Amino acid sequence: MLQYLIIQLDDTSASYCHYSNDKKESRLISVESLKKGILFAMKENLMIQFVYPNFELSQEYKDAINTIDHSDIVPSDCEDEKLKDNADIIIFNNWKELESYKINENGIYVIRTYKSELFENHLSLNKFLPIAKRINVVITDIDSFDENDFEKYKEILSSLSKEIEKLYVEGKTPQLNLLTDRMMLDKMNNCNAGDENITLAPDGKFYVCPAFYLTDGNEDYGLGKSKFSIGDLENGLEVKNPQLYKLSYAPICRNCDAYQCKRCVYLNRKTTYELNTPGHEQCVVSHLERNESRELLANIRKHGIFFPDKEIKEISYLDPFDVRKEW
Amino acid sequence: MNMNIKNSNSSWQSGMAKNITFIVTKDCQLACKYCYLVGKNEKERMSWEVAKQAIDYILDNEQDFREESVVWDFIGGEPFLEIDLIDKICDYLKSEMFRRDHHWFNSYRFSFSTNGINYDTEKVQNFIKKNRDHLSIGITIDGTEVKHDINRVYKGNDERGSYKDVVRNIPLWLQQFPNAGTKVTIASPDIPYIKESVLHLYSLGIKEVNINCVFEDVWEDGDDKKFEDQLMQLADAIIDGDYFRDHACSFFMEHIGKPMDPKRDNQNWCGAGRMLSIDAAGNFYPCTRFAQYSLRDKKAWMIGNINKGIDKNKLRPFFTLDRCTQSKQECIDCEVASGCAWCQGENYDAAESSTVYQRATAICKMHKARVRANNYYWNKLYRKLELEGIAKEEAEKQMKQSSNNINC
Repeated sequence: MLQYLIIQLDDTSASYCHYSNDKKESRLISVESLKKGILFAMKENLMIQFVYPNFELSQEYKDAINTIDHSDIVPSDCEDEKLKDNADIIIFNNWKELESYKINENGIYVIRTYKSELFENHLSLNKFLPIAKRINVVITDIDSFDENDFEKYKEILSSLSKEIEKLYVEGKTPQLNLLTDRMMLDKMNNCNAGDENITLAPDGKFYVCPAFYLTDGNEDYGLGKSKFSIGDLENGLEVKNPQLYKLSYAPICRNCDAYQCKRCVYLNRKTTYELNTPGHEQCVVSHLERNESRELLANIRKHGIFFPDKEIKEISYLDPFDVRKEW
Repeated sequence: MNMNIKNSNSSWQSGMAKNITFIVTKDCQLACKYCYLVGKNEKERMSWEVAKQAIDYILDNEQDFREESVVWDFIGGEPFLEIDLIDKICDYLKSEMFRRDHHWFNSYRFSFSTNGINYDTEKVQNFIKKNRDHLSIGITIDGTEVKHDINRVYKGNDERGSYKDVVRNIPLWLQQFPNAGTKVTIASPDIPYIKESVLHLYSLGIKEVNINCVFEDVWEDGDDKKFEDQLMQLADAIIDGDYFRDHACSFFMEHIGKPMDPKRDNQNWCGAGRMLSIDAAGNFYPCTRFAQYSLRDKKAWMIGNINKGIDKNKLRPFFTLDRCTQSKQECIDCEVASGCAWCQGENYDAAESSTVYQRATAICKMHKARVRANNYYWNKLYRKLELEGIAKEEAEKQMKQSSNNINC
């Protein structure tokens, strides 16, 4: 069921997820479309998340945005300091900016990183974990992981896990999406773009998520253009094969318990052609996180009672596809 | 299984063989009206270099092709237009499988589906002699001359039928492949000719007729009723004429038309993804139906090529497809679901978005009509066999009685 409307305010609005935004030229959503989008959300009972560019919006836009309860997703280099101070989520696109940023104890921070940068800089997360309310690490080139990368990633997760364990023992409750989410979850908690959330883009059209708007108009991963809309403000939503965005129609994922996995439909489309089918790399990365979460849960419990009702089973595979005959 | 009834022959090493298809040409002498190959052309002919590179890739990567056996399939267009290339490919395959001590060396077939027009040419005949023990060839003849020539016409403006050029090769073909079956395709205009066509094929000596309706959305109002009537007449003819004892017609199958359990009977119908197709450009596909020349509205579903190999991620949707996930609730709940077939390529081509997860249902009313006729067929046939059994028992009883009488 649809619950969220993400409004990409400008073509240059920051990416907060796996997709990249290479657009350099600003194209703001029109005030008229913005107001219509807000009205749509009000009538459909949707929570709005605004995704901002790095420049300050005019008062007319701010006034429109303030007509409804919402969340703000803001890039770390945004010129609007007041907006940044009150943002719900701050996005970093490089580790240098994160290093020099004044982390707030109530803040939620997203660091978008290539795997190589994560492998190089992961130790700096140790500095922010005790301070920030939550840190989300988003690896932007998951589809390029190879066997060596999996090994390296496993080591890094193990190292981060030790740090988190230490913080828990100290009485802190750090949140790192890669490791702590799975410990708390009893069911899939994925991105759910196209099912629970959709995006309104500056062109006044709806998209499954910003990735399907921002991709180059000619981008073609093999089955035709990846840029396609699912309706517009005038005519409403028209989602083709909407069932494919639901977990129950995703054969690999509905049999999986890597509950923290993003299950990114754009990455699915890019790697396997199918919106409901993850590629091998996405599955293995998520399972390395899942398995390390299991270790973390067990290690924290060595120090005392900790979520006694939660259980993460031991499994023998890293890609559920490999055990599909057992489903 | 009743021993008095002939069943269709299952294909060689069915379920245990990898099907690898070379699309050697996209050209054909014919322009069949129901052909799903919408992009046939004379330009895309496979070169020896592409074929060799494809073979080397497949045999070099034996670990990725663990099936017990292999069927090297050659299609077109019309494959025998490229008999020189095919001969070279098969020679190379045999020598390479032997040289590498490949596990397929003693378990392979070369398979062809041909329009039969140049079946008797010297080159084709020499090829058959050379590979006789490892060969399956199916000639497509669609039934009577009228039925065959409705659809199977030469390309060009005159739409000349091809029946005469095909039927003359049937005796030679049956002499070389006595158990061979033919494949008959039914579209809307063919319906009135089904009964006479099947009987005609039997009269030519073909004992197995594999016949099916096209999956495309071509059906007109009332076609299902006409189809059912034809099948009922065919059922009568097969049963009354005793053809069922040594002839098969795939329309009549004992176990179709039953409800299916969503958990137990949840397998995919189609083998797409388990097969591999290679075209003239050296691109790989999960089945020929996903190559561009087979698709009306969608882009080709490439899974790799001879230079980069197979991208296994592109095969994951095929290996995880199941019946219910791609079917509407109406199909899941259908009381006569079993035997209702689908073609994954047509599903993809007809889908509202680029997915293999939307089952095309254009065939629904034809399947239901088939099920009704099929039920009639088996009820009538089993009653006949039952009565024959009673009659036989009766006769034996009487014989015994009369001999007892003599003894007395």
